[in-house]
Amino acid sequence: MYPSIARFPKALVFVFGCALGAMPAAGAEEAAKVPAKTKEPVKGAIDRPQVLAPGYTALSFDPPDAGTYSLPPIAPAPDGRVLKTDGSEASLHDAFGDKYVVLSFIYSTCDDVNGCPLATYVLYRLYQTMQKNPELAENMRLLSLSFDPQNDTPEVMRLYAENFAGKGADWLFLTTESNDVLAPILADYGQGVNRVYNEEGESTGQISHVLRVFLIDPERRIRNIYSVSFLHPDLVLADVRTLMQEAAAGGYQAAAAKSKPPLRTRELMAQASHTPLGLPPLEAPEGQEITAARVDLGRKLFFDRRLSGNETLSCAMCHIPEQGFTNNTMSRAVGMEGQSLRRNTASLYNLAWQDPLYVDGRERHLHTLTWSELLDLKRMGNRSVGVVLDKLRGLPDYEDLFEDAFDGQSADMVTTGVAMATYLRTLVSGTSPFDRWRFGGEEGAMSPAAARGYELFTGRAGCASCHEVSEDHALFTDNQLHNTGIGWHHSMGKEPRRQVMELGGGIRIEMDMDALAGTEERSYNDLGLYEATQDPVDRWKFRTPGLRNVAETAPYMHDGSLPTLEAVVEFYDQGGFEHPEQDERIRPLGLSDADKADLVAFLKALTGDNLRLLEADAEAAPVGVPAGEGS
Amino acid sequence: MKTRPNPIHRLRRSCTALALATSSALAIGMLPATVSADETCVSPYSPKITGQEQFVHVWTLGVKGIGDEQDKLVTIDTDPESDTFGEVIHSLSVGGRNEAHHSGYSDDRRYLWAGTLDTNKIFIFDVHTDPSKPKLHKVIDDFVKVTGGVVGPHSFFALPGRIMISALSNNKDHGGRTAMVEYTNEGEYVETYWMPTDDNLRGAEKTGKYADGYGYDVRFLPAKNIMVTSSFTGWSNYMMDFGKMLNDPEAMKRFGNTAMVWDLHKRKPLKIFDIPGAPLEIRCAWGSNYCFTTTALTSKIWLIYEDKNEGWTAREVGTIGDPSKVPLPVAFSITADDSYLWINTFMDGTTRRFDVSDPFNAKLVSEHKIGSQVNMVSQSWDGERLYFTSSLLGNWDKKGEADEQFLKMYNWDGEDLNLVFEVDFYKEKLGRAHLMTFNSNELFETNIAGKKEELGDGVAVAESTD
Repeated sequence: MYPSIARFPKALVFVFGCALGAMPAAGAEEAAKVPAKTKEPVKGAIDRPQVLAPGYTALSFDPPDAGTYSLPPIAPAPDGRVLKTDGSEASLHDAFGDKYVVLSFIYSTCDDVNGCPLATYVLYRLYQTMQKNPELAENMRLLSLSFDPQNDTPEVMRLYAENFAGKGADWLFLTTESNDVLAPILADYGQGVNRVYNEEGESTGQISHVLRVFLIDPERRIRNIYSVSFLHPDLVLADVRTLMQEAAAGGYQAAAAKSKPPLRTRELMAQASHTPLGLPPLEAPEGQEITAARVDLGRKLFFDRRLSGNETLSCAMCHIPEQGFTNNTMSRAVGMEGQSLRRNTASLYNLAWQDPLYVDGRERHLHTLTWSELLDLKRMGNRSVGVVLDKLRGLPDYEDLFEDAFDGQSADMVTTGVAMATYLRTLVSGTSPFDRWRFGGEEGAMSPAAARGYELFTGRAGCASCHEVSEDHALFTDNQLHNTGIGWHHSMGKEPRRQVMELGGGIRIEMDMDALAGTEERSYNDLGLYEATQDPVDRWKFRTPGLRNVAETAPYMHDGSLPTLEAVVEFYDQGGFEHPEQDERIRPLGLSDADKADLVAFLKALTGDNLRLLEADAEAAPVGVPAGEGS
Repeated sequence: MKTRPNPIHRLRRSCTALALATSSALAIGMLPATVSADETCVSPYSPKITGQEQFVHVWTLGVKGIGDEQDKLVTIDTDPESDTFGEVIHSLSVGGRNEAHHSGYSDDRRYLWAGTLDTNKIFIFDVHTDPSKPKLHKVIDDFVKVTGGVVGPHSFFALPGRIMISALSNNKDHGGRTAMVEYTNEGEYVETYWMPTDDNLRGAEKTGKYADGYGYDVRFLPAKNIMVTSSFTGWSNYMMDFGKMLNDPEAMKRFGNTAMVWDLHKRKPLKIFDIPGAPLEIRCAWGSNYCFTTTALTSKIWLIYEDKNEGWTAREVGTIGDPSKVPLPVAFSITADDSYLWINTFMDGTTRRFDVSDPFNAKLVSEHKIGSQVNMVSQSWDGERLYFTSSLLGNWDKKGEADEQFLKMYNWDGEDLNLVFEVDFYKEKLGRAHLMTFNSNELFETNIAGKKEELGDGVAVAESTD
């Protein structure tokens, strides 16, 4: 047994000749199966009973309540020259008047019952409703415009209109002088038509077209386009009433574009000049003084996707402000055109005190690191310095920004690098519960568990021998490179044959890794500092990361291989991956579960008090994206 | 199954005439209209080719080191009476490797919208002036800006005079939260409809555990005023190397687990259903108001339908494969009589035929190996011809020799798929073959004799080929 499904045939099309306005008998009709050329049955066509388009019958669903939705303006309703039934010429816009207009393209000899006759039938139903409703009659107008001026002269349209003669409501029948006059109107309304010719090349008078009926508001904007499947008087009326309510309420209000919050440049500069509790003073290199203009310019560069080779990536697409200026959703980063990078995206807090840069220590200065990133074909993917500088000099929204920030100097390698470096230096973060407890004298600022964790961190667990804490500040790094075993294990360890994987919805399954053979380009390798020095003793050495805001920057280690702080503590407690080159300070620690929990509590107490400020500033940043042709 | 190429003469010559069926109005002589046909997955608002397709357009990804290395629209002659049957007859390069992906026609089929998932460009091709030689009509290159940060335009599904675009990601974090976007046929932006999330359900009812805000495919059930959407993953994952991603537990947590039904007229989400494991493509029955979707990671078939008691809901109705082997169901196609699904599984390069005449109980009928990998499937209205292409995503396709790139065309005789022709997209120096759409001159020329008439720009009636 299973629940039944209400079978409901979709909109179908009858094919039989019917005089305009004549309604076919209700009921099913065998499908016509005549191919265009051969008049033979269509092979494979499915025999299904046909029914009339929904517009002829009651809606199969409840019509929407007027005013419970909005109809965004689709496009300006195009104009054109038309002829009225008395033969006088007018503009289509004049014919609209200041009404809500239902515009239908028809031709008088059309005999597809679900084509023009459907449109005319629906308009007739609307006409009847308008006649009974003074408000609608006053505000609505129906227009039927022929797209067959050769046959549909004003006189023909007049006779045609007589079928629908009545009083108290507006229904105009229009045609045009010629196909030449009609053509731009059809083109502007996107109403493609094909005329049907017989084998002698003579017009059959038939026109094939996709049926469209337009709802146009008094401001001459198209607000809905109906086709056979949902041209229905109830829907049109609901839409008209929705538009009338909208007008009474002051007109269409586009969803208010979220107004950008203000930039927080002043606060960034303030925290750079008076660093938060727990951080040493910040000294910018000579000639790289922190100024508001440079911070603003650097921030703009940081968020500008146009600065990548294919204008898709920006620094912020990997260093995501809301995710701790790293990316919490993947272990190793993804670069230009999806190329695999080997390392976890580095967080950017407190970069001002980091030296050397990168986890393998290969870079020394933020302004040169900027160019390493811009020119890396796997990262920002620019082919040359010239490409980047030409772009910066050509983008109108960068006009004068470099000159204002650098005493008249335009965009070049130095100014670009320094602007970026200046912004990055302002991403300082301190005054964490730990700082208030350790350096601020607030005894209750950190939990007892975190305090016990700090004792372990600086004592028995030995963490602080690399993640250093000084007397008056703590950067939690010795800025040295060490072999913890993580890199060695990846390079030298055996790959598992089966692995637990999450498939979504909490469903986890043990995967047969053989099934994945051939899916990864090439198993990556990472030798750390060795790659910069080529000295074997430097194999698998990576820089000690600072730990501020570490709770925000999962996953962990240079390759993102550990998902949680608990996993990191567990890794060190087990003594890493023992091998000859491993740093001798990495050893089994013999921590209890309570010890591990205390260490994690301590690490979570390192979250600065200004993360929301940094995120708010990022939220306010102008995001440079391609703005389209001609912009 | 048989994989030997069959001689072309196996094709029935008598079926070369084209017939058009449409739920939109066409004058008589143009044709009839039975039901809205499954000519793979054309919008219910569009005309359908119910006879012999003349051309297949293949939206193709550029590959470094292959040919001109850039994305292109490749046109293949599929008219068995043509001298160039089964051959590439046109190729139009658009510049860049943009992660070309899906495409879809405007409601009148005069334009083909082809999207890209990396650079977010949308290429609009004129495919009516000369269907054998598409022309680049317009490029939308400000999609992210005008939509308010939507990334990854994916499915293009025609509304009357407009296109509904489902997307995959966003500009803020390249994750899976995304939106539906509406454009006019002329390529002008209309509106963005963000997917509901736990933070903002936008009036939708969350029926299960998830309101993830992810997106993937879109389909309409006009008779029920329903729009159906599904969910995949964001830029960070779909651009990531496939093997790398499968080995990354953090990345694997970021897949969609939902499908939704919307009020089509209001464009408002109604109900969110849990469908674990990335429900991707949606295919709706032509004779009834229900849709199927398949889950990429959990390898299941789900039915989205209106239950007499529960209203709109979703139910698992079949198993495609063993998820521990990562079969990865991808594209599928429903036959025009709603009785069967052809479901491709990417990793084993196989298509599976399921009997869904009882939509609550999908039964595997047969399996047919297509290649080392297979993604898209398109079938003719009569179900007798099936076309397969190989590429899933630039960085998800297999590596090395297993990275076959092809279009293969088969005849289905009721029991076997019989290979008729194959185009090797690497040998032809083209790239990765992805989405296919059918086309025919006869959609745009109803003049039987060789008469030509110009109605103005954009509405030209082409010369007859007869």
